[in-house]
Amino acid sequence: MTNEQIQEKARKLRFEAVRMVYEGKDGHPGPALSIADIIATLYFDIMHIDPKKPDLPDRDRLILSKGHSCPILYAALNERGYFEPKVEHFNLRQLGSKFQGHPSMRSTEGLDMTSGSLGNGIAVGCGMAFAAKAQGLDYTTYVITGDGELQEGVIWEGVNTARGRELDNLIVFVDRNGWQSYKSIDYTIGQNNVADRFRAFGWHTQEICGHDIAAIKSAVTIAKSVKGLPHCIVCDDIKGKGLSYMENNNAWHKGVPTDEQFRIAEEELGGAEK
Amino acid sequence: MTEYKGTREAFAAALLDMAEEHPDIVMVSSDSVKAMRAVPFADKYPDRYLECGIAEQGAVDAAAGIASCGLTPFVGTYCGFLTMRACEQMRTFVGYTNLPVKFVGVNAGLLGGEREGVTHQFYEDLAIVSAFPNYSIFTPADPEQCYEAVKAAYETPGPVYVRAGSGREVDVYPKGAPFAKSGITVHREYGSDAVLFSNGFVLDRVIKAADLLHEQGVDVTAADINILYGKDPSEILKTMAISDQLFTVEDHNINGGLGSYISRLATENKPAFVTRIALTTYGESGPAKELADAYGYAPEDIAKKVREKIRK
Repeated sequence: MTNEQIQEKARKLRFEAVRMVYEGKDGHPGPALSIADIIATLYFDIMHIDPKKPDLPDRDRLILSKGHSCPILYAALNERGYFEPKVEHFNLRQLGSKFQGHPSMRSTEGLDMTSGSLGNGIAVGCGMAFAAKAQGLDYTTYVITGDGELQEGVIWEGVNTARGRELDNLIVFVDRNGWQSYKSIDYTIGQNNVADRFRAFGWHTQEICGHDIAAIKSAVTIAKSVKGLPHCIVCDDIKGKGLSYMENNNAWHKGVPTDEQFRIAEEELGGAEK
Repeated sequence: MTEYKGTREAFAAALLDMAEEHPDIVMVSSDSVKAMRAVPFADKYPDRYLECGIAEQGAVDAAAGIASCGLTPFVGTYCGFLTMRACEQMRTFVGYTNLPVKFVGVNAGLLGGEREGVTHQFYEDLAIVSAFPNYSIFTPADPEQCYEAVKAAYETPGPVYVRAGSGREVDVYPKGAPFAKSGITVHREYGSDAVLFSNGFVLDRVIKAADLLHEQGVDVTAADINILYGKDPSEILKTMAISDQLFTVEDHNINGGLGSYISRLATENKPAFVTRIALTTYGESGPAKELADAYGYAPEDIAKKVREKIRK
């Protein structure tokens, strides 16, 4: 898919994520918009997947370690054709909905892993990457973490294991938007030197703009060419990217647009059918 | 069949004996492969052994990832480091997802940790795991049963927790005795003055207590409960029906283990007095036998408590 086509997909996913939260009256729109371009590039260009065969043994895997961003993932799965018929109203976080507040692999087709409890994605990804090698399968496991969740200790357990076992079929995107629930990462831990930390742990590490489709594609290609090391792609992102009142405004870590704010979202993101 | 002695060796032997026939079996280690006596497995099947280092939460997460890809991981280490340090990972990434991860937790109870002291003695594991839906909980009473329990864990769908010891367990069952699917094996049937339920590695002490009581004119039934909170407790209920005086003896905290399970069954099915002999404090270091005796598990003390309670 061309970069322009992926950009258009990302725009559509952004609108769907905002609509999902608006209709469901709950959710985390800012973190979802932050990773829209990464998700769109993975699901519409990079990942080897077949929505008609969600259990394909050699499919690429994705773990959304920052599970609260799930509206963007649900939108991508819907747009990619995992649900028949296509979902019109997600009923996000509503009783009986397949779209749980955080991803549940037993509730939603196309989810490779349950997530939402921060910090666990890389270690779970180690297991998937190990399983690929143990089974002689050539798939890649992708993990998307936040920069705030790197404060969890178990993150670094997974980071060590991936390095120790040379899991070069594991690619971790860090959504480095600089914010966590309360304040900035800088405030919380004094520095947000994600790349330095991953390099110190022996990972092959790249730094890109996470809203640049070409850069995302290129970083994955480079990662796959480097053998023997796990891969970290640090993405400088803007929380709430794409919607003026949400961009870099941490009040939208969690929040529901008003009717007027949703109207603005329709204007700025063009609605689902632009 | 691989020879073994002690529950850790039994685990490793069962793993090795199943590995060739079942290529889906892998071992996940949190630097515990040596403690689990599973080095021969790691040497023979290096591609099926994932070393995560001293990192139980990461190890359980990794096991969830492995299981999601169609393999059957066994995670073995000290049971407290599994059920307490990696508690949330066991619950959310294995229990909630209902993935077939098989846990073998060693050093269970005072007898499991004995000389190591409280940091390596774990008497809370069953209380924790029993609060997780989807788990099957196996409590083998000796090395033979542990071997069978590990095999049964592989055959059982979904998450399984096997409680194991440290190698000083007393043999009770004959070699090859099956791991009872009914969840109960009656070892003494002297009479109906009381029923003594036991689980884990105090079973030999409970059987001795039943023998002592018989010599003293008190005729009890003594049974091993090897599956906690199983789906079909009907056979256990049949044994409970023998007497209105039920006793539970377990190397675990008084809350959340065998005593809680039998109390629940009694409350829901057959009102009876349930006297629980279990731990109410933390332990301390000491040789296994002396420690168990000091904390109330001497056969004489168990027998005395039974006599006092039923006033016979």
